[in-house]
Parts: sequence; C-alpha cells; structure tokens
Amino acid sequence: MEVWVLFAVFVAGLIVGIPVAVTLGLSSLVYLLMSGIPAVVMPQKMYAGMDVFVLLSIPGFILAGNLMNQGGITNRIIRFAQALIGWVRGGLGLTNIAASMLFGGITGTAVADAASIGGVMIPGMKKAGYPADFSAAVTAASSTVGPIIPPSVPMIIVGALSGISVGKMFLAGAVPGIVMGLAMMVTCYWISARKNFPRQAWQGWGEVARSFGGAFWALFMTFLIIYGLLSGLATPTETAVVASVYALIVGAFVYRELKLRAVPGILIESAVSAAGILALVGFANVFGWILVSERIPQAIADAVLTFTDNKFLVILIINLLLLFVGMFMETIAALIILFVPLLSLAQAVGIEPLHFATFAVLNLMIGLTTPPVGVCLFVCAGIARLPLTPVVVAILPFLLTNIAVLFLVSYVPGFATWLPSVLMP
Amino acid sequence: MKSTERIIQVLATVARIGAGVSFLVLIVAVLIQVTTRTMGNSPVWTEELTRFALLYLVAFGAGLSFRTGDMVNVDVVCENLPGRAPRMLRLLSAVATAGLALYLLPASWKYTSIGAMQTSPALGMQMTWAHVTITLLLALLAVFGALRIVGMLTGAEDGKPEKAIEAPEG
Repeated sequence: MEVWVLFAVFVAGLIVGIPVAVTLGLSSLVYLLMSGIPAVVMPQKMYAGMDVFVLLSIPGFILAGNLMNQGGITNRIIRFAQALIGWVRGGLGLTNIAASMLFGGITGTAVADAASIGGVMIPGMKKAGYPADFSAAVTAASSTVGPIIPPSVPMIIVGALSGISVGKMFLAGAVPGIVMGLAMMVTCYWISARKNFPRQAWQGWGEVARSFGGAFWALFMTFLIIYGLLSGLATPTETAVVASVYALIVGAFVYRELKLRAVPGILIESAVSAAGILALVGFANVFGWILVSERIPQAIADAVLTFTDNKFLVILIINLLLLFVGMFMETIAALIILFVPLLSLAQAVGIEPLHFATFAVLNLMIGLTTPPVGVCLFVCAGIARLPLTPVVVAILPFLLTNIAVLFLVSYVPGFATWLPSVLMP
Repeated sequence: MKSTERIIQVLATVARIGAGVSFLVLIVAVLIQVTTRTMGNSPVWTEELTRFALLYLVAFGAGLSFRTGDMVNVDVVCENLPGRAPRMLRLLSAVATAGLALYLLPASWKYTSIGAMQTSPALGMQMTWAHVTITLLLALLAVFGALRIVGMLTGAEDGKPEKAIEAPEG
C-alpha cells in the first residue's frame, strides 16, 4: 500500500513539474510518514548517498569541460574535423559528427556539445546550402556520443550505483561511442549522396597537419584522462582536477582565449551544475533505499522472469522500457531510479553488470534527441530558428541508426566488455 | 518587490561564494594530494577534506541549482497547459520544494547533533561539521523556494528557471 503511494506521489510530482530531486524527496517522505519510520532516516540516507568516493570526480570533470569549452577548442576541433573529412559528399555533416566525437573526449555532457558545435556548425551548414532541419538534426543526433565516449558524468553515476570502477565504465563506452559516431557518418553520407549535398575542396595534407597542431592540446586532454585512470597513478577525482588545471593552462596560455577573470564564474557555474546532480543523487538514495527495503527490484525481476527468462527477450524488454522512460525523463534521474532495479533483472538472466551499464547509458542518451523531452533537440532547433516538428522528422534516420547501434551493443557484449578486459584486466 | 529582489541577490551571491570556495578547497586538497604523493609521503587528511569540501559544495549549490534550473524537472506537461495553469504549477513546485525542505529541517538538525558523538578519523573534526551540510542544503533550498514564492506573488518574477531551455513552438 505505502509503496503505491510512493509511486503515485512520485509520478504526480514529475507531471506537475516539481524538480525530480524534490519529487523523489517528497514521495519518500510520504512513504516514511505512512510507515511510521522516523524522518531522521532521510538526512542520514542523503548524506550516505552523496558521500561516495567516485562522485567526488563529477565537479572536476564538469569544470574541465567548461574551461576547455570557453578556451577556444570548438573552432579548432571543427577545423581539424573539416580538414579530415570535409571533402567527402555531405562533408560539413560528417565534420559535425566527427567534431562531436572529438568533443566527447573532452566534455562529458551532450547539451554542451550541441550548443557549442551547433552554434558554429548550424549557421555554417545553412550558409553552405544544407537545409536548416538537416543541419539541426545532425548536430542534435551526434551530440549524444559525448557522454558515451569518456569522460562521462552518467558513467560516473553508474559506477557509484554499481561499484564498477569508473575507469572500466569509461573504457566500456569508448567502442560503442565510436561505432555510433561512424554509423551516423554512414547515414549522413547516404542522405547527402541522395540529396546531392555539397562537399568542400580537399585542402591538402598541410591543412590536416596544421589543424591537428591547433587541436592537439585540446585532444591531448582525452589522452590525459584515459592515461590517468588506466595507469592506476591517479583516482578519478585526481584525474578530473588535474584535467581542470590542464584545461586552464591550455585555454589561458596556449590558446589564449580563456580570460582569467572569467574563471571564477566558470568555477561557480560548474559547482552549481554539479550540486544539482549531487542533490538529486542524495534524494534518490532515500528513494532507492525504500525500493530495496520493499524488495521492488526483486519483485520486478520476478515479474519479468515468470513471463520469460529468455535473455534475448529480457534485453529487448529492458531496452524498450528505458527508451520509453528516456523520452520523458532526464538521463541521470532515470539512471538513478531505474539502474539498480533493472540490474538485478539483468543479472538474473546472466547479463554482465558492465555490459548492462553500458547499454543502459547508451539507451538513455538516445532519449536526449526524442520528443517530447529531448534537450539536445530543443537546443539545436533553437539555434537553427526552426520549430520542433521539421527537426524531429529530419532526425529520424539518425535516430534509427542510433537505435540499431544500441541493439548491436545490447546483443553483442564484446562491444562494451572487450576494451576494458584488454586494458584493465 | 524591490526588497525581494535584493534579498535574492544577496543570498545568491553568498551561496555562490560558498559553492565557489568549497570547490576551490576541493581542488587545492586534491592537488596537494597528487603533488605530495609523487614526492613520497602525502598527508592523510587530504582525502577527508576533499569529501567534506564536496558536501559543502552541494550544500551551497543545491539551492542555487533550484533557481538556475540545474536541478532538473520535467516541464513538458506543465508548460504546455493553457492559460494560467503553467504559472500555478510553477508556484506549486516552489511550494513543494520549500515545504519539503522546511519539513525536513528539524530531522536534519537532529541528524546534525548526532554527529557530535563522532569525530572524523583523519582531521579529528567533529562529524557535526559534516552532517550540518545536509541542514545547510535544506535550509538554502527552503529559502530559495520561499523567495520564489514571494517573488511570484509580488510579480517580481515569473518562476521560470534562470537558464530554461525553451522548446521551440510547433
């Protein structure tokens, strides 16, 4: 009975637009009051949820990405991507996707990617003769590889929820992220060839080398982060903080586009973004504790297993459920609420936690580009000055591509588990 | 109406400074940890200080994230309702936020005082100072929620998050 009230309050709160963190808190509080459990459990569980070792790295990774973003990396990365593949048919679309993949190795958020790359590429593509809806769609779709390619805030959260090392989580996302990017490039080329979109002139190996020289310092940060985590020399938090210092030095002294007086503001913005995420984690920990004490994860697993224990079908059910939830809910909130219940179901049919975690994150990223609540879709349509509908239509081929990659990664565990097993045995 | 805006501004500035300083402490503690370890012996207190700094960062930042919209909500239904409904729901959302935080304050104060029975292993600090972050978080959330209610009722603001990403029409 109390559990149903918990869910009812939670869903009602979401629908009327109360912040997800507060909705989680409210529904948990109502449950506690009805069950006669003292409210002091709540601050205690919030504290326990936020005082988790790997969560310490979240503000650092957000700061490193924001500093780089303000430090003039966008144009350099786009120039390098354009020198590499701008000469193919539909070159600016391909450039857009490649830039997102490179950008994804620096920041861990898709919205930052959509806004920065979209701000440059959408007007640029329109000027070069690409339809506005296609330009917005390709930007929105490709921005979702950002949080799949390491570093990635959702992957850190999953690490905190499951106890899988952040290094392993990051590596597990690398191959699926690259495959997803390449698959979108194929789709983009196919559309461009059919619609005869323009291509740029090949600018020669000299330009490739020069633009790589410009982008090198930004791209080196990806290497720095991966090396820090793999070498065992640094914890994720240390890696994130060192990456922030590196981004500060590159932005202010190498690229010289980061104004030092803007740094305190960036520091505070990053802190507030991180605080929003961590407060959500804190309130969600109370909610999660209630779910576990009511044996909800077990009940969900049992309910599905009485229906089928076929691994193939269970993966399909999990994916359909996450795709549906991802349409309406923000990624991190959805992960925090659903990850643990679905993990016990996944493990019951023999899916490895690392593999499950990877396709769950990949799945929820796709939700960033689906109506009605696709943040990246809104950002890109906004930049292109278009209503939502044409962008939704134009993004369909990319959406289908990404869903195809999702199912590939879901059914072939090697995509996720191979790289971590080689590099972090 | 002017005074509400001024109070919001002052409080937001204090909270921003608090969040910024906490983040700075976190960064410096981690850098000390990294540099001293490469030289051989790192102090034992840096890891603990980092954890406490994070808790203060969240305590100061959470209320602000409610204001900026970094504390995410699902606005697809409520913002597309006709007439004054979106405004009413935004007001309800502020009431729910402030109400929850306010209701939990006595419980979190109790939790804070329980901390006096423990000291942290490395810094030897009373755990009250760690537990109090939850109280601070809730207090600031209550205050910013309440100020939004006052701001909306006096017409000083429309209750939308500061950096809301608007869905394009259509």
